[in-house]
Amino acid sequence: MRLLALSGFVPEAVCDVERFVHFSGDRNIAHYCGYANDYISQVITDPGIDGAVFPKSCDSSRIIGSYLDSCGKFIYQIPVPPRRDRAAVLYLAEELQRYHQSLEEYYECRLQDIPDRMERIWQRNRMIGEAYDRLESISYTDYLQAIHSCLKKPLSEQKFQVSSECNMGLKKRVFLVGSFLSNERIPAAVESVGLKIVGDDLPESGRLRNQMYPERDTVYASIAEGMLLNRLSPTQSDFERMIDRDLHEIHKSGVDAVIFITQKYCEPYDYLYYIFRKKLEAQKIPALKISVTNSEDSGKLELILDAFADTL
Amino acid sequence: MVPSIGKLQSELMREYYRYFSKYAKGALPDRKVAWVTSFAPVEILEALDILYYYPESYAAVIAASGKEQEFLEQSRALQLTCDCCSYSCCMEGCIEQMSGPRGTPPKPDILIATNNQCSTLPNWWNILADRYKVPLVILDYPGETAQTDASSYVTGQHRELIRELEELSGNSLDLERLTSVITRSEQSVAAWKKVTCLMSTRQVNPTVLFDDINYLITARCKEKTAELYTKMADEFKELPEALSDRVPVFWLGYPLWYHPDRYLSEIMDGFRISGSNYIAWWNLDYSGDDVFDQLYHAYNYTFLNLSQSSRNERLKQWIDESGAQCAVTLRNKSCKCDFVSARLLKLPQAELQIDMIDRTFPDLERARRQMEILKEIVCTK
Repeated sequence: MRLLALSGFVPEAVCDVERFVHFSGDRNIAHYCGYANDYISQVITDPGIDGAVFPKSCDSSRIIGSYLDSCGKFIYQIPVPPRRDRAAVLYLAEELQRYHQSLEEYYECRLQDIPDRMERIWQRNRMIGEAYDRLESISYTDYLQAIHSCLKKPLSEQKFQVSSECNMGLKKRVFLVGSFLSNERIPAAVESVGLKIVGDDLPESGRLRNQMYPERDTVYASIAEGMLLNRLSPTQSDFERMIDRDLHEIHKSGVDAVIFITQKYCEPYDYLYYIFRKKLEAQKIPALKISVTNSEDSGKLELILDAFADTL
Repeated sequence: MVPSIGKLQSELMREYYRYFSKYAKGALPDRKVAWVTSFAPVEILEALDILYYYPESYAAVIAASGKEQEFLEQSRALQLTCDCCSYSCCMEGCIEQMSGPRGTPPKPDILIATNNQCSTLPNWWNILADRYKVPLVILDYPGETAQTDASSYVTGQHRELIRELEELSGNSLDLERLTSVITRSEQSVAAWKKVTCLMSTRQVNPTVLFDDINYLITARCKEKTAELYTKMADEFKELPEALSDRVPVFWLGYPLWYHPDRYLSEIMDGFRISGSNYIAWWNLDYSGDDVFDQLYHAYNYTFLNLSQSSRNERLKQWIDESGAQCAVTLRNKSCKCDFVSARLLKLPQAELQIDMIDRTFPDLERARRQMEILKEIVCTK
């Protein structure tokens, strides 16, 4: 079983999923998120992938099935509620249980180690959290690479480790906001122009480290609550809460500027940026938006970043 | 005396636009106001005497009046990227400038967004909530993605919405009234189906259908809507038969609101539009044992919330009924969800890049060549 997951809304606790990072595939869907497009390309063309699991959370993800329906692999979409109330958690829990059953039926196997997996995920996330708290003294690029490296492996093989401490000296401090940051050249470019990344709200980092599993009646309820309540994505349509939380961290960390990295045609982040930028402007915090077209594009970043660093 | 089509239309329009700033002249609505998405369960609001307005529909009106570029430019200046849905960009510009062909809608007391047509609308409604600082309700309809029974989950949200709206309006929901409002919606849908089925056999102007579906969107639970559509169907039955020397084509996608004909008439010589999926989107199915069951069925299973295979099945049925020999398939910059419904068509098609609001989008020369090729394919088959 080798399942490719598109988003953090695909639970790792049920079985091993490989998180999609990037792919050099055909890119031919117009006006469509490049990250989702690359995900589709990999599922179709990579013979090692035998299944795809993705949420119904944004416009691009909700129609992925129509491109994959005929590829002959295990295709599963999880309807993630854009709400966070008790009823939504319980509904998602039922859907996760059904997902579990579907996997067992399709692969003719038993997946019975959920509590053990939850414990391992919690341990890994705790380590990510500890590294996150040391971002002042480690390279953010190393930190992100270590996370990506973990997420591409089965849970039992994941060893989160950030290479070494590095003294970055006195630099301008920036905070990253955006969707999954596939292209590790982007944070490297940010650091290379003398900006220090001291925090983020990326799904694989700032949000993953906050994901916990509260004790509930069933493991599914616990996972569902962990997914909906402990993390926030703009697809959950609660911009106010998400921005308030980020602003709190931005102030606490003494951030000088915020960098948004968005995929072109990723509307949830484009709408979020529209409001977020206004709030940052009101607080006189500079913001830079970098729009990338696919999972490998770096959006002519070096030039833009050089100019932005100069303005700080 | 039986009212004419024109009279019924103007009465419905007058009622809807009464509190828009151009006509209200400063008068405030006498009821609470909600801004809703096109597939919101408005029967609940109607039964609770709450006024409701559709920003998406108004963006279409703005484009039809030729003002969309000014507002799109304004939203770009505010740094809302034009990659986002043009309905939202157009409305942001309109609200920011406080102007529009009919002024602006009355300010909302509550915002209600659903995800049964796309996932963009709840995001757009977030920026409205930030502007107006009023409560935002997001209704989640899992549709056919759900592998479990979602009826109690959706009904729970409807009950919660009722409670919140009762509190806001000070009115109590009368279930009998809700029942009769739903019945009116069902009657509107039934009458509209009688109108649209004539498109394939009579010389019905597609522009009229693209425009007049508006009443099914904004006024589906009003008594006059079914009356209007019944009269239209009677009138259309008397129209001459469809021209047999034109190639029947299915229009797959949105009307182009900025275009005087709502479709690219200038590149469609020799074709006639015999059907369209857009005019069937609001044919909601209100079947069910009680009002909550009816609302669940109608709003959970909207066309855009169905699985790909159900959509293909339904699309095939519509195309077969229309007698179309080919299709114009629109790849709409503003609506990813719509396009996919055309992917598995088995008949010749021209795929055109458009936006339903932004008139600068299509490459007309390229589109013209595509249509010529399409005609050649159909005529030499």
